[in-house]
Amino acid sequence: MEGIDHRMVSVNGITLHVAEKGPKEGPVVLLLHGFPDLWYTWRHQITGLSSLGYRAVAPDLRGYGDSDSPESFSEYTCLNVVGDLISLLDTLFAGDVFLVGHDWGAIIGWHLCLFRPEKIKGFVCLSVPYKPRNPKVKPVQGFKAVFGDDYYICRFQEPGKIEGEIASDPRRFLRSIFTGRTLGPPILPKNDPFAENPKPDYESIELPKWFSKEDLDFYTSKFDKTGFTGGLNYYRAMDLNWELTAPWTGAKIQVPVKFMTGDFDMVYTTPGIKEYIHGGGFAADVPNLQEIVVIEDAGHFVNQEKPREVTAHINDFFTKLQNKNKSF
Amino acid sequence: MEKIEHTTVSTNGINMHVASIGSGPVILFLHGFPDLWYSWRHQLLSFATLGYRAIAPDLRGYGDSDAPPSPESYSILHIVGDLVGLLDSLGVDRVFLVGHDWGAIIAWWLCMIRPDRVSALVNTSVVFNPRNPTLKPVDAFRALFGDDYYICRFQEAGEIEEDFAQVDTKKLITKFFVSRNPRPPCIPKSVGFRGLPDPPSLPAWLTEQDVSFYGDKFSQKGFTGGLNYYRAMNLSWELTAPWAGLQIKVPVKFIVGDLDIVYNIPGTKEYIHDGGLKKHVPFLQEVVVMEGVGHFLQQEKPDEVTDHIYGFFEKFRTRETASL
Repeated sequence: MEGIDHRMVSVNGITLHVAEKGPKEGPVVLLLHGFPDLWYTWRHQITGLSSLGYRAVAPDLRGYGDSDSPESFSEYTCLNVVGDLISLLDTLFAGDVFLVGHDWGAIIGWHLCLFRPEKIKGFVCLSVPYKPRNPKVKPVQGFKAVFGDDYYICRFQEPGKIEGEIASDPRRFLRSIFTGRTLGPPILPKNDPFAENPKPDYESIELPKWFSKEDLDFYTSKFDKTGFTGGLNYYRAMDLNWELTAPWTGAKIQVPVKFMTGDFDMVYTTPGIKEYIHGGGFAADVPNLQEIVVIEDAGHFVNQEKPREVTAHINDFFTKLQNKNKSF
Repeated sequence: MEKIEHTTVSTNGINMHVASIGSGPVILFLHGFPDLWYSWRHQLLSFATLGYRAIAPDLRGYGDSDAPPSPESYSILHIVGDLVGLLDSLGVDRVFLVGHDWGAIIAWWLCMIRPDRVSALVNTSVVFNPRNPTLKPVDAFRALFGDDYYICRFQEAGEIEEDFAQVDTKKLITKFFVSRNPRPPCIPKSVGFRGLPDPPSLPAWLTEQDVSFYGDKFSQKGFTGGLNYYRAMNLSWELTAPWAGLQIKVPVKFIVGDLDIVYNIPGTKEYIHDGGLKKHVPFLQEVVVMEGVGHFLQQEKPDEVTDHIYGFFEKFRTRETASL
């Protein structure tokens, strides 16, 4: 963790906390975390990529960690968040960048590729594939229809509700998120939201090798301070985001993409997703999808669970793209 | 006029009334405030004879199209979403685009965020203004021209509607259309739009039938739909942060009348002629200033405007693939 620079940058009307490491003249890699996560998720990639000559840049996205958390959920659409990131890129770096996104960071990444494709040399997307906007179905309604009322995204909608239920104990919530092994769509029953997750004497249960007590302490310290509302606001803005991204209905992603997932990631194991990823649908929507990698024996937080493999894959892809450009 | 087809297209959650005529590469015409598809009546008829398919919608909030009640439904993203949906429903990949007034603003943004859907743009009256990173547009107008500047007077929901309601709609439309005063329109509350001088007579280019058409449509619909575009300006500014500093990369021809109120806003002439506009629109190929012409150029000098549009699009026509 030494050698990581931390700074506060004024962007798009807010202040973002940004962690950075690597040679100033190195190609920039912008790393975007998800929910409920932080720049810290990329600690291994920051170390690895910087030692390979990249300039690794990992912000706390708006609503998280040491960055600002605007009040209203309406300020958490992809338009707002991509606005932050474009402002960050324009302030700190010239030209185009490499992009890595995980979970919500992957969704933001897809939108960054839609809105400003010329800014992105290549995108390594972890866990969440792209789905073009469906003009007929609002996202939350769609999830409810397929997975029911207790699907986590539906349970996250009402402001304040899930905060009261499970996010009132950040450490417990974070533990269950990072160590959860349940496959398929996360369902949070109203009377028993932690259903398949650590039981009451949870502190005695061993943490996995890749997630230490110090890691849990770090996350807990940050989320104790901010709570989860900032992160939850991304979900609460999904329908609004759908409304505002009408201009990109059905649009394809043109940027070169590498997609990676752990083989028991709850997204990858949600019904329909494997077929979409491997059956050609994904490639049709992302014509420049160059590689699909399924990492064995890894769950949702693949960048933390198999850090060296993920870093190597990222470097592999970006090197390939750079060499392709050089040959001209 | 009877040859013009009128259809209703379902797009982006609204019903959109569309006037169209002709066959060939598609030209999409976007009207402004307070206007309608009808603004383009001359161009629709002309381009049908010139081998194009001309399409002019009533934009969201106007005429025979739906008008959602809240200003939050009138951001640039909503309107561009309507138009992309319209193109998708027509099966048109790329269009020729023409804009006027608010339609010009929408046209600039369609080119900015979906340049892949536009072959070339002829825009009129309103230049592209780059996004100020720290100052919202309505706040900027207020600082520059004061609270009585028309855009500021349009902000408060219901307020200006009450002022408008005190004037016969046909008379109000005529006041808007016939104004030749090139100074930035500041209308103190004590005076109101009702206090604007009555035009002595109709100009040659605006007939009684035209005024009745507009009067009927706006009596029916009201002005709130159109006013909501102004009320959503600051929201649009917030939502277009991702494109801050980005140039518009579509071939453009820009036309404006030298008596147009917009052309005479301080700083605008210099911006257009001294390289400012070109910096943000690098493929700006031609700028035309029409002498003795006011804001509604496509109605005041229809044949000239048609010729300008035709001449420009013909340059790109051989490469154009979308034909209906």
